[in-house]
Amino acid sequence: MSSIVFLIFAPFILSIFIPLMSLKIRNFVVITSVISLATVAVNTTFSSAVSFNIPHYIHEVLVALDIFLLLYFLHRGRVQNSTLVSILAIVQLVLYAIVLNLSSAQDGLDIVVDGLSIMMYLIINIVGGLIIIYALEYIEHEDISAKKKNIFIAMLLFFIGVMNALVSANSIELFFLLFELTTLCSYILIGFRADEVATQNSIKALWMNQIGGVAILLALIFSITSYETIYFSELISKVDNTFLIPITLLIVAALVKGASLPFQSWLLGAMVAPTPVSAILHSATMVKIAPFLILKLSPAFTPFVSITLSLFGAFVFLVASVMALNKDFFKEVLGLSTIALLALMISLAAYGTPEATTAAMILLCFHAVSKALLFLQAGILEKNYHLKYISDIDSLINIAPKTLFFIMVGFASLTLPPFGAFVAKFLAITAISDQILNNPLNAIVLALLVLGSVVLAILYFKVTSKLFTKEVFQNFSKEKLAWKYFIPSFALFLLLVAGVLFMIDLKTIKVYELVVPTLLLVATPLLFKYATFKNTPRSKEYNCGEKDEFIVSTHYYEIAPKYLKLFSYIAIAFIVVLQVGGLF
Amino acid sequence: MFEIVLILIAPLVGGLMHGSQRVIRARMQNRQGPPLLQPFYDMYKLMDKRAFIVHPYHTILGILHFLTLWLVVALIILGTNLLYVIFLHLLATVFIVLAGFSVKSVFSHLGANRELLSLLAYEPIFIFLATGFYLFFGTYDISVIRENSTAIMTLPLLFIAFLLTIPLKLKLSPFDACEAHQEIVGGVEVEYSGVYFEFLYMAKWLEYIFVFSLLTLFAGDSILFAIALVAVVFLVANIVDNSTARVNIQETVKFLLIWGFGLSILNIIGLSFV
Repeated sequence: MSSIVFLIFAPFILSIFIPLMSLKIRNFVVITSVISLATVAVNTTFSSAVSFNIPHYIHEVLVALDIFLLLYFLHRGRVQNSTLVSILAIVQLVLYAIVLNLSSAQDGLDIVVDGLSIMMYLIINIVGGLIIIYALEYIEHEDISAKKKNIFIAMLLFFIGVMNALVSANSIELFFLLFELTTLCSYILIGFRADEVATQNSIKALWMNQIGGVAILLALIFSITSYETIYFSELISKVDNTFLIPITLLIVAALVKGASLPFQSWLLGAMVAPTPVSAILHSATMVKIAPFLILKLSPAFTPFVSITLSLFGAFVFLVASVMALNKDFFKEVLGLSTIALLALMISLAAYGTPEATTAAMILLCFHAVSKALLFLQAGILEKNYHLKYISDIDSLINIAPKTLFFIMVGFASLTLPPFGAFVAKFLAITAISDQILNNPLNAIVLALLVLGSVVLAILYFKVTSKLFTKEVFQNFSKEKLAWKYFIPSFALFLLLVAGVLFMIDLKTIKVYELVVPTLLLVATPLLFKYATFKNTPRSKEYNCGEKDEFIVSTHYYEIAPKYLKLFSYIAIAFIVVLQVGGLF
Repeated sequence: MFEIVLILIAPLVGGLMHGSQRVIRARMQNRQGPPLLQPFYDMYKLMDKRAFIVHPYHTILGILHFLTLWLVVALIILGTNLLYVIFLHLLATVFIVLAGFSVKSVFSHLGANRELLSLLAYEPIFIFLATGFYLFFGTYDISVIRENSTAIMTLPLLFIAFLLTIPLKLKLSPFDACEAHQEIVGGVEVEYSGVYFEFLYMAKWLEYIFVFSLLTLFAGDSILFAIALVAVVFLVANIVDNSTARVNIQETVKFLLIWGFGLSILNIIGLSFV
């Protein structure tokens, strides 16, 4: 229990003091606390399930905090002239008042730490922690005051604390508060650069996430009126097949956080923030709430809800993958692939079968590591080489071999054997195939999944190959990376390698099936380094005798806007169907 | 033991298939054509040529492409997991695509890009093929598929879908846009020369073995049926190659996605009603 309390409260307390510190002390304190958070998180894996109650007086404080937070949103809505934010804040206030009125003191456990929470602790604290170390260097290159830099770091730590609390919450009321706090964090971090676009996008993120808040409050009201509980565990065990609306409303909240269609634009808008924000939103925190929540709720799903959500997830997976094919902004490509993979996790988690759940969890872990690695490299490209667009990042192999290596590993780890994401894909195909004979609709899910994953593979290798184009007679220069850039990237790389060992240990697929591709992938960089073909003569490329200058470019595949609109409507239709399915 | 010999001679068998294909094509065009062993004479000649390389990475990736493909073929011969083999084949494709993009050559880039796009056309069908066998036999193990009687009556649409991918994988008309000698000078191959081109050449032979060994899965445990299937499909593929014109890569992908993948999905859906 003490370790859980530490994981939740240490980041909060630190984030209060960090703004007061000088640069050196700050870096020292942050690095030591990140290391201790990660250690404690690893330690929790050895402890058994923990659950406890929050003292009553803290409850009062939390309620006050909640009301204060909603009032703050209302205030921001008025200041930023966004009626949408204000209206949603008022709706939330009203609904929250109803909830407070309905819920009398109940017996139940506010905090329950199960296997799922522990897995999330690992992701949040290890991956999130590495991103914060990286952010220490990154933020120094921003053109802002020292105090603001400190606040930035403090916000990231605060975010980690909120997430640690969120994944431990069993009380939906507490969950709502933490959900809103993540919304607050993302709102502040997205608007951090305070220019016009940043402000606009932060407001968008705010109102979209508020929809999630409204959904949770409605779910809470239905849960109290129909099932007399405010606890996840009791709701899931008590819920009746004929009235699933509290569950389906919670699913909507998950979809909002996971930036599924039609809510995708808030996450794409988050690109304007400093890169560590994107990294932490996409990999360790915020969006991971979506698959987490679905995994938590899936035992309560009826077959109808299950298949609808699986179809929806697979549909978004394909659409987001195709959308990414047309993007040129590196971070946007990564962002859309996050949306796609989150949808895939949701789709798998919705099945609730052991195989599909395992696949979803493996994907959840390794997507976090791979995406963090990729986003860190995006930040390095931006800060060290002033590169943001894929069309500009020609021949990176000549100038930045280390960064290129990490990008290659990042992309490879999302598709190729022997990495975790590959194992997840493998398990997913089997898990869905097993369901096809029960319900032919699963064949459609599988088709969407297969198409989406091929499209993603094309996307990844389109981007990497662009980086890979090498001049014939140019030797590459040594790349200097600041250690706060290099260590987190390298640590994430090691995590991916450790993941391969873990996969071998997991025995879901045969050992040689992992070892063989590992050998091939290890051989590749070694051969690059040592097989120099010194005695073989070199030649320039054959150009049919033409003397035209060759410009490397990639292909873009655009979806017509009318289809994009159609896809959003389809997504909305799915959500409506889901709610209707919850009613009957 | 038998398997190991098969694995070792796999590229040679592929070479023979390539040679016989050239003979068949010549006869169809009323030409005398090269001898059956021409691919091996080519190899011998290539060894003698002075090899130029563009840069080591390009060469290494080409060799890795060949090695991975050989591994894929070996795993099929050993009777391992079908779905896994298909994913390992993806790794082989990734190597050749990276190789194609790693040099600054228009043709190589066009070829590599088409290679990537064709992935969209055949990969889904291959995965559904594995799913089809999985649903029928309850396992992805190729050895189990080979020990049981044929599944072709249950998976007829998947069989047709698979046939559609064959020209694409073997770079035969009408789906040979990836290579398209007259248009993009062989695509990815263009920058390889001398002894290093041999690896790409052998990789091509291995693709024959890859495709036709997948085809024999439809024959189940009957060796006669397998031989007949390979012979007929090989002949038909060549007739089609000789009598059709190349379609561009977009058309190829569209056709295979709609017809090939469409039929695969129908077959799989149909399975749940049987």
